[in-house]
Amino acid sequence: MLMFSYLMATGITTGAFYALVALGIVIVYKSTEVVNLAHGDLFMVGGMLAYTCYVMGGIPYLPSLLLAVAGAFVVGILTERVAYRSVLKHGLASVLVATIGVSFVLKGIGRYIWGGKGDYLAFPPIVSPEPLQFGNIMIMSQQLVVLLAVIVVMAALALFFKRTRAGKWMQATASNPKAAMLCGLRIDRIYMYTFAVGAALAGAAGVLMAPLTHLYPDVGFVLFIKGMAAAVLGGLTSIPGAVLGGVLLGLAEQLAAGYLHSSFQDVVAFLVIMFALIFLPTGLLGARGLRKV
Amino acid sequence: MTLPVLVGNRSFLALLFGALLALPAFANQYTLFVGNLMLLYIILALGLNILVGFAGLLAFANAAIYGIGAYGTALLQVHLGWSFWAAAPVGAVLAMLIGTLLAFPALRLSGIFLALATLAFAQATQWVLWHWQSVTFGAGGFRVPPPDFGWIPVKQDYGIYFVSWAVTLGLLLFTWRIMRSRIGRAFVAMRDGEIAAQSLGIDLLTYKAMAFALSSFYAGVAGALYSGLLGFVSPEAFDLFQMIIQKAMIVVGGLGSVVGSVLGAALLVYVMEVLREFKSTQEIVFGALLIAFMVFQPHGLVVFMKRWLPGWEEPLHLAGGVQSTAPGHDTSVAGATSKEHASAERT
Repeated sequence: MLMFSYLMATGITTGAFYALVALGIVIVYKSTEVVNLAHGDLFMVGGMLAYTCYVMGGIPYLPSLLLAVAGAFVVGILTERVAYRSVLKHGLASVLVATIGVSFVLKGIGRYIWGGKGDYLAFPPIVSPEPLQFGNIMIMSQQLVVLLAVIVVMAALALFFKRTRAGKWMQATASNPKAAMLCGLRIDRIYMYTFAVGAALAGAAGVLMAPLTHLYPDVGFVLFIKGMAAAVLGGLTSIPGAVLGGVLLGLAEQLAAGYLHSSFQDVVAFLVIMFALIFLPTGLLGARGLRKV
Repeated sequence: MTLPVLVGNRSFLALLFGALLALPAFANQYTLFVGNLMLLYIILALGLNILVGFAGLLAFANAAIYGIGAYGTALLQVHLGWSFWAAAPVGAVLAMLIGTLLAFPALRLSGIFLALATLAFAQATQWVLWHWQSVTFGAGGFRVPPPDFGWIPVKQDYGIYFVSWAVTLGLLLFTWRIMRSRIGRAFVAMRDGEIAAQSLGIDLLTYKAMAFALSSFYAGVAGALYSGLLGFVSPEAFDLFQMIIQKAMIVVGGLGSVVGSVLGAALLVYVMEVLREFKSTQEIVFGALLIAFMVFQPHGLVVFMKRWLPGWEEPLHLAGGVQSTAPGHDTSVAGATSKEHASAERT
């Protein structure tokens, strides 16, 4: 029972983190119908920028976080300009190929600048590394910070979509681009901001998670697959779905690792993607019958 | 019009394969290895182009299938003591069988969803290679005994090279014929419109399965030859970057073009070898090539060949994006209209 409660606690905290990665994928997919395959590498870029500011530059944590998020935002804008806007005329599949090109360019740049300093860059924990004791469950305090931050980010995102004009523009463009254009919205610019917001989310996730995952140039793809599994499980178009998918994936991973074998933790995400796409194409909370298969 | 025969795509292929045949006469061991890699990548690019360029199925599993071919061949030799000549065909057929199963998800998924599902399949294959240590020896890889060339009257070092050369030439001619047959035309019809293709009597399951079977057989053959060439296999050789290399080859050469696959593979193997020391530069260059071609010339280098070389014929070359036809571009199916199209482009 102790093991079970421990697994549940870890599952929920890692799941919340996968949800954060998935949210960025969902936001971009919802309005552009493109899965940004460079999403994971934006995560890596965010983490690496924070490492550069916080560990190498000695800048305090909060400004480092903001700088890293801003950096990822800018890279997101570049991604949209290079791999979406100029390729869209050749079809969505071409965009997908171009985003994987972006992914490898970012990974190569990451390896060039931050690689070769040992296998992993260790990001010092922001809070005390001592695990906290709740009853008889132990939780790493960094995981709690991530969980809290995920909740804050999700609340901010909900407010952004409900309360701000930019958020409403994005929703309008996602639901009907032609009508949005007729209302006078500059939808190409909104696509740009969508990519940028998705990238900023990835960057924020990268900074928050850096102390737990450590940083290496290939970390992006690993987390992209997990975020993708969470997003697909949730239905790819639904923000609550992404959160639910993330938590379920986190729990499934922990249970597989705890009761089968620790190596099974990684394979869960691949299986979820394959089987969810084939047998549950609209996910748990996705819009029914809307996906153009 | 004797000029077209001299500068056409056939003469390009004849020249390239002639040069590759003559290579062992004056090359050192390293150059020979690079030439051999070039042959393997030509096979891989041909197979991937059948799937992505001709049949329009954007899949990301080719590197994993290549790995299954290599591991199948190598493991049969190591665990069961088979000879290379018995293990290689079995390894290639094993890769083909597993690859053909991917046609079932391809029936329900298209476009980016097929890409994601096959990406997950490729990663799951990597996971098996890493963790099923009792069979695959895990992340470190393992050595494979060298193939025996006693029956070929050449030096032992050149054996695998000449075998690769012959197999590549055979598969190239086979691809050339089959893409101009009913099967190739059915693939192109399926790519340009599934519903239209079905209404013309093309059974989607049959032809999608055939596209996956062909491309994974090619990848399996290349994998088998790879294990014989290197004498060592490890999971790293079949990762996502390997997939990107192959994808860049067909995009640079020309999607839906047999000669384009050869051209792209030959060029990019050279680029890869120049940058061998620097993994980061390799990643940046191959990523940038994919982006640049998607932005500026998604139809590949073959477009320039068609424009400048009068003898260059590519009747089924994809004239749109990866899966869509851009307005103003004629997706010609018959050879005659394609020539008119090409000459109209020149004027």
